[in-house]
Order: sequence, then structure tokens, then C-alpha cells
Amino acid sequence: MSLVALSNPVSAQIDGALFDYFLVETVNTLRQSSAVATRRQKELEDEMAKANLLPQAPNQRIQVQDTEDEALKLRLEGIGAQVGASLVERLVKDRPRFTDTLDSVKFICKDVWTAVWEKQVDNLRTNHRGVYVLQDNSFRPLLRISSPNGASDAVTKARIYLAFHAGVLRGALSRLGLQGTVVPEVTNLPQCVFQIKLPKS
Amino acid sequence: MSSTKQYKSIGDDLWKSRTDKINAELFTMAYGSLVVQLIQDYEDYAEVNKQLEKMGYNIGIRLIEDFLARSSLGKCADFREVGEVVAKVGFKSFLNITPIVHHHPAPTPAGGVGPSTTTPRSSLLPSQNAAAQAQTHSMPGASFVLTIDENPLAEFVELPDTALPTTAPEGSTAGAPNQTGLWYSNILCGVLRGALEMVQMQCEVVFLSDTLRGDETTEIRVKLVRYLEEEVPVGDD
Repeated sequence: MSLVALSNPVSAQIDGALFDYFLVETVNTLRQSSAVATRRQKELEDEMAKANLLPQAPNQRIQVQDTEDEALKLRLEGIGAQVGASLVERLVKDRPRFTDTLDSVKFICKDVWTAVWEKQVDNLRTNHRGVYVLQDNSFRPLLRISSPNGASDAVTKARIYLAFHAGVLRGALSRLGLQGTVVPEVTNLPQCVFQIKLPKS
Repeated sequence: MSSTKQYKSIGDDLWKSRTDKINAELFTMAYGSLVVQLIQDYEDYAEVNKQLEKMGYNIGIRLIEDFLARSSLGKCADFREVGEVVAKVGFKSFLNITPIVHHHPAPTPAGGVGPSTTTPRSSLLPSQNAAAQAQTHSMPGASFVLTIDENPLAEFVELPDTALPTTAPEGSTAGAPNQTGLWYSNILCGVLRGALEMVQMQCEVVFLSDTLRGDETTEIRVKLVRYLEEEVPVGDD
């Protein structure tokens, strides 16, 4: 086995449709598991409140539904961040360091987007003060979402699926040394926008 | 009945014709993070196994449609053929791996070949034995074992000590896999169970061994429980 072959391993591939189904089911599975975890947390808080260990009054608790959605979003973003981070680690292996933040964001728009979604970002806008808006006009994960209740319902339901992908971007950015927030937004499928806020470089 | 070489080339062709392939690492990382998250949420490995299997089931019932649409394979003649198709065409076209498959016909009333299973002896008359022998590959109780060499899900994965199986208690059923601890790739069992159920076969799919747990091989056993009649699907539980 030649040394060259060792240094450039052929990356294994799997079917894209399988990954799509997997992400859909991940959302469902995590919805359930986050409900279980949230419930356990609440029970613990209840017990502590009964024993007068908690300083705040019980009626200050947030509504259950919001907490569960938040918990689900956090988990999806967390998983996405792991994926994005390890992806970027592999992609930047042989490249020189990036000169500034804009370069890093452009790298994300081109290479990371291509690695995950097989195309580049359609539009990148920035106010040169740390806010970047990435727009994709036919975002692959959104291409096949529809709802029997109409387009607006489909948009509402699609939002949660973007949490994973926002996490991928956040993880990718963090591995490039940029800590920021990524907020996904979708108004009409399959177009979506990711707003990235980074501290000034 | 197509020969095994034919299935292999069908599988290869299907994989090559897939336009939509992604880097397996994305899947490996996402699956790994998912398992970690589930362990944190449920704090119980048996429950995590169950959830992974359930998730796989939901994927499998959709995946089979995709598979049937893309491949032009007809109905399988017997369960042995099912095993061949699953290993050489199914796994190949989705995960680009080809597990080795070993077939085990259902035990005959005369106590014939095959691993000990818990299937009750069938009540066939002696005169039907000959026909039964020929059909043992289709009878409930038939099974096949998939031996997976390279599991894309488990690449670079190491299980913590707490997830490993505890020693099996004395007197456990011979051949029954130790079900304590985490079966990391349990999603695969669910996918197979769901996919086969959609083509009218109710199967029991379990892991027999897993290299992540210190075993020598990674094996999944698929056992036919019964054929299903066409019926109106029950709502999701």
C-alpha cells in the first residue's frame, strides 16, 4: 500500500435519501426524548420545591409546550454543531489559515454548503459589522416538505428541521474560531435564510 | 431464483446509479451525537435500544418504498432469497456495504438442522414431511444472519464501560444474545423490521454480537415470525 494512498483515504459514501429520512426521524425521536427529559427535570424541580429547596415560586415556571420545543431545538442544534465541527476539521486540513472573518464566511458558503447540500449558497449579504445573511433559494432539506394544511402550515412545521442545519453552521463557525449565533428563517419553501451574527473581527 | 452473482451486480448497479450520495461521515457523526443525546435523555440503555429500534422502524417503512421503486426486483421466492436481496442489494444500495449472509432454514418437525429456536414444533403429519423439508426456507422460523464487516455507523466509536453488557446469568437460553447494555447500531434492526413488515413479513430482528461490545463479529439475525395478510394498517401507537 503506497504512502500516498494512506494520506488521501477515499471517503465512504452513503445514500442521500437515507440521510434525509434519518433526519426526519431524528426530529421525531428527539421530540419524544426531550419530552421525557423535560418531564424528569420538572419532577425533580417539583420534589425540590416541595422540600422548599427551590428559591422561586412554582407559578413562575414557563409553559410546558414552549420548554419542550426549546429542548428539542437545543438538541437538534447540538447534534448539528457536532456534525459541522467535525466536517470543518476535515475540510480545512490542507488549507492555509483564513485572513479575516469574511473569508471564513465565504468558505462556509462555498465548501461547507457543497459538502453537506451539494450546492453553494445563492446569496451572501453583510453589513460589514458582523452580521451576515446567507440565502439559499432551493435549500435541499426543504425541497420536499409539504403539508395537507397549506403552505403556511408547511412553513411553520419546516422551521424545526432547520434547527439541525443552523447547528451545522454554528459548529462549522466555531471550529474556524468564530463564536456567533445562527438564526434560520424560512418564509416560503424552499427558500431559506440563515442570519449569522459574529463579534467584530 | 436469481443467483447470488446476479444480486451482487444488481446491488452494484443500483449503488452506481444513485445520484444523491453524501459523505458517510455526516451520517456517522449525526448518528453518534443522536445516540449520546438519547443516553443523556433516557439514562437507561435498554430504553435507548428500544428508541433506536423504533426510529429505525419508522425509517424502514419508508425506505422499502424507495427501494422497491428504484430496483426492479419482483417478489422473493422464499425467505432465503429475502436474505440475499437484503444483504446484496438492500445494504449495498443504501450504505454501500455488503454484509455476509448465512441462511438457517426453519427447524423441521423431525428436529432437523438449524440453530435451536423457540419456535414450537409444527404439527405436520409424517406424510407431509418431504414437502415441508423443501419449504423450510419459507416457513416461519427460518432465519438468516448478516455479518457486517464495516459498519459505517460505528466508525471511530468506542463504548464507555457502562454501556457494555454485564455477564450473562447462569442458565440463560443457549444462542440467545445477552440483551443488557447498549446495542449501538440498533437502528439497523428497526429498519430491517419495518421494511420487511411492509412486504408482508413479520420478523424478529436482533443483534447477536457487536464488535463495539468486545465481540469478534457484528451480527444481526433476522428471523421470520409469520407472513402477514394484507390488512388495513393500524394507526400509529
